[in-house]
Amino acid sequence: MTPEAILDTQASPINPARPGAEAPRAIAKASTAALAAAACGGGGSSSLETDVAGSAGTGTSTEPAGGSAGGSAGGSTGGSAGGSNGTGDTTAPVATTPITDAQAARFLQQAGFAAMSGDKAAVQSKGFAAWLDEQLAQPVLGGTRYQWMVDNGYAVEANINNFAGADSSIWRRLIASPDPLRQHMTLALSEILVVSMSGLPIKWRNLAIAHYADILEKHAFGNYRELLQEVTLSLAMGTYLNMQGNRKEDPATGRVPDENYAREVMQLFSIGLQQLNLDGTVKTSNGVALDTYTQTDITQLARVFTGWTSTRTTDPIASDFAYVTRPMSNTGNQYQAGDKTVLGTVIPASASAAQALNLALDVLFQHANVGPHIGRQLIQRFTASNPSPAYVARVAAAFNNNGQGVRGDFKAVLRAVLLDTEARTPNASVSGGRLREPVQRLVQWARSFRVTSKQGRWPIGDTSDPATRLGQSPFRSPSVFNFFRPGYVPPGNELGANQITAPEFQLVNESTVAGYLNYMQSVIANGMSSGDVAADYSAEMALAADASALLQHLNLLLAADALGAASLSSLVAAVNSMPAATETNRLNRVRAAILLVMAAPEYLVQR
Amino acid sequence: MKLNRLPELRRREFLRRSAQLSLAGAAAPWALNLAAIANAAAADSSGGYKALVCLFLYGGNDYASTLMPVDSAGHAELVRLRGGSGGGNLVATRDSLAATTLSPRVPLAGSGASGTQLAMAPELAPLQSLFDGGSLGWLLNVGTLVQPTSKAQYQARSVPLPPKLFSHNDQQSVWQSSGAEGAVKGWGGAIGDLFLGANSSSTFTCINASSNAVFMSGQQAFQYQVSNSGAVPINGIQTNLYGSTSAAQALRSLITTPRSNWMEAEYARVTARSIAAEAIVKDALPSTLPFNTVFDSTSSLHRQLQMVARLVAGRSTLGAQRQVFFVSLGGFDNHDFLNDQHPPLLSQVGSGLAAFHGALTELGVADRVTTFTASDFGRTLTSNGDGSDHGWGSHHIVMGGAVRGRRCWGEMPVLANGGPNDVGQGRLLPTTSVDQLAATLARWMGVSETELSTVVPNINNFSQRDLGFFS
Repeated sequence: MTPEAILDTQASPINPARPGAEAPRAIAKASTAALAAAACGGGGSSSLETDVAGSAGTGTSTEPAGGSAGGSAGGSTGGSAGGSNGTGDTTAPVATTPITDAQAARFLQQAGFAAMSGDKAAVQSKGFAAWLDEQLAQPVLGGTRYQWMVDNGYAVEANINNFAGADSSIWRRLIASPDPLRQHMTLALSEILVVSMSGLPIKWRNLAIAHYADILEKHAFGNYRELLQEVTLSLAMGTYLNMQGNRKEDPATGRVPDENYAREVMQLFSIGLQQLNLDGTVKTSNGVALDTYTQTDITQLARVFTGWTSTRTTDPIASDFAYVTRPMSNTGNQYQAGDKTVLGTVIPASASAAQALNLALDVLFQHANVGPHIGRQLIQRFTASNPSPAYVARVAAAFNNNGQGVRGDFKAVLRAVLLDTEARTPNASVSGGRLREPVQRLVQWARSFRVTSKQGRWPIGDTSDPATRLGQSPFRSPSVFNFFRPGYVPPGNELGANQITAPEFQLVNESTVAGYLNYMQSVIANGMSSGDVAADYSAEMALAADASALLQHLNLLLAADALGAASLSSLVAAVNSMPAATETNRLNRVRAAILLVMAAPEYLVQR
Repeated sequence: MKLNRLPELRRREFLRRSAQLSLAGAAAPWALNLAAIANAAAADSSGGYKALVCLFLYGGNDYASTLMPVDSAGHAELVRLRGGSGGGNLVATRDSLAATTLSPRVPLAGSGASGTQLAMAPELAPLQSLFDGGSLGWLLNVGTLVQPTSKAQYQARSVPLPPKLFSHNDQQSVWQSSGAEGAVKGWGGAIGDLFLGANSSSTFTCINASSNAVFMSGQQAFQYQVSNSGAVPINGIQTNLYGSTSAAQALRSLITTPRSNWMEAEYARVTARSIAAEAIVKDALPSTLPFNTVFDSTSSLHRQLQMVARLVAGRSTLGAQRQVFFVSLGGFDNHDFLNDQHPPLLSQVGSGLAAFHGALTELGVADRVTTFTASDFGRTLTSNGDGSDHGWGSHHIVMGGAVRGRRCWGEMPVLANGGPNDVGQGRLLPTTSVDQLAATLARWMGVSETELSTVVPNINNFSQRDLGFFS
């Protein structure tokens, strides 16, 4: 490391007013050993705890509000591994230390996308946990994507075989819906229970993908089991992973049921390939990882998932676009007869197709792997790419029991993810952090600068092109394995050498780093679609004559003060050198300042 | 390049890389692996330029719809196995296969060879003349293995098996790197490691025209990604940013300054490499194409292969003696709609490879570049109704002027549900391992016999290390 780099780290003004003296008090309030352990951890094994700033005090200090709410919560269920019960008990002690601007901004950027000043004030006055509870208590706001598309004329016969309106409906919710946590969770779920516009060969596919996004949004604060049910029976998933039209075996021809959904619902949407401890580490026997299922389990589960078809009326198909919103149905004609044994549970021949499906999904839901498997991925989507096992265990425990004996409650999981000590404490470890995914950056820009669509159609489109746009576009994953894998380890660097998972780096290469900057340079200046989608920089224009004030404002707004003094001062100098006499001059200052902050590695890696 | 210049070149490369790394800031012991550099001593980069091109077919290619029996009995049996009309008519008719029927120079080997005549899918017709002309062959029933494995051993689990069989992401990774998801070193990159010293810029040793793939990462070799239109310049650092040269300079400094946090450091490192490489690549890719062969601009695979051909043409500007390229095509997970979705994909493969070979021939380097296909796994023979499920072994193409083609290497399996080469529903138990394929290609590149185990760690479990692709 160069001296400059060290200086940079040490001089970082992250929470300069952090009341270190308060930390012991916050930890003392916590009732579990896990909290203390977590407070000393931060990025996996101890060998990785190379605190570059040498600031052990900073690394282990705990924000009182976050620490108490996340760590000491939910002492009622006890007994789970690691003594961790991060179930988000909202009766945890209330914050006694003011939440700084940077702490509030950082929290909001993790939970939602942006740190708007009104939200920041609300977090500061109510505390993290109370603000979260308010968000979680909100119902789905506004109409569905599906209905918006119908109302805006996309359900016309010309679109029966295309995705017209789908991107618009999705961007509109991500950017303009006033419930950023729910929108972020919807995006997160779309990257775990993946359905993509690449691979949806049905009539009215545009409406089908929009409805699928609506399903994820509807259950974002609901229960995983109900989400799994509706996803499984959705026409979009049925088409994407081939359960739609899946038929029973035919001994005469040798035809057997399709195994695609059976395999991926286990590998990707619920239990994963290997047996996990509560903390997400793999269970082994004599050094060999234990599998969760065998090929026989897949074959058997595939037999369960037979006989389901769309409810589309064939004549005239053009008028029945609403079929994409109806769950698949089962007449029983193509349902496989006989017992099925899934993960050791016999699903009796006497069960109807619907009963058998419910029983099978229950088996998956009750599997001990779901909490750590899904929990770790949600941590990765919100706060940390390589969470400690203790953090995973606390989130998994919240999945297993929300404090009231309910399993699969996403509210409890989100509290555990976002209020955890490890989430609330900026990660000073060299291995810590999470690369903001490209879509998140664009949505953050749009929300931070109050972007609107003049025509209301949000013509942002497909941002997948890696060389000219983001290399990522919501609901356009190249496959069911998402844009990036939760187990991805970037090769050929310190991350690879230390087996640090960093999923978003799967999208990072020499083309995409350039494509992102070029796209943002254009978007920041011109918006999209000839200015139909445009930002409001009035707050920034008011600061434009003062480069230092402008950059401090943007550093907080976009990066929660993560840019260090060294970076910041060089950016201030550059912006200061730009003329500020005219409106156009000042606008160019604002544009340059925004792009510079959004290009900074300290911004890109959320810590 | 002469062999005796190698030590000097390696030393130069080492010093250059050391300087680069100190520029990059972070202490990076993994990248200063003296032992690995010393290992390069045995690799032979003499004899002029050579390159490997991996074409990865993401999703798991259906082998039985790609290369299939066309003899009367074998074809009828395949139709029966795939369920005939009840299975969705997955098998092309014999008439449609007449033009792509193969007449290998030597008879097929293997338990399923007797009486079998093979034909390529009709969409692979553009490859027929390459096969007949001896520039292309098929490797039969190749797949991931830890060691030679019999059906009895598989069933008894009495020998080590590849991790996470039948799982897409993991078998992609095992094919490319011998390890499941999370692996950080692939065999394309490992071959690249051994030739870093042979190239004047290590950056252009492993070039990916697709998206990140572990295949291309070595111990020190990294994958340099290039878009279909070449390297992407960062506009904001060229002359001015929103009218300001200071802002452009600040941006350049900001995004390339070394960082201490590992994620920030890696992002900055990739960005710095992007900028440095772009300055060279743009010179290696003149706007006038160096060949007349026409690629299909509507095909993602064609665009990637065209870019590789252009980079090969610009090899001297890139300072490359040995290169590994990666291109890919997705969409092969055809559980349903096989008859609708698979033929257009194979059509891109057939026409794309033929165009690529044509362009290389124009450039006079067809015998300097060897291209091979790979995929997650093969698929089942049994039908789901209109598609097939995840399998294991599969048939793959090896193409190039150096290839002693018009052959089918490896062993022809018995196509059966419950047969000797089948582990269920026509999933083939591979009789040739990916490691053997890798070793054969690596030896052609100049990797020494003793270095093979650094490329594919399980190669020593196999007695045959040269599958005989090359004359």
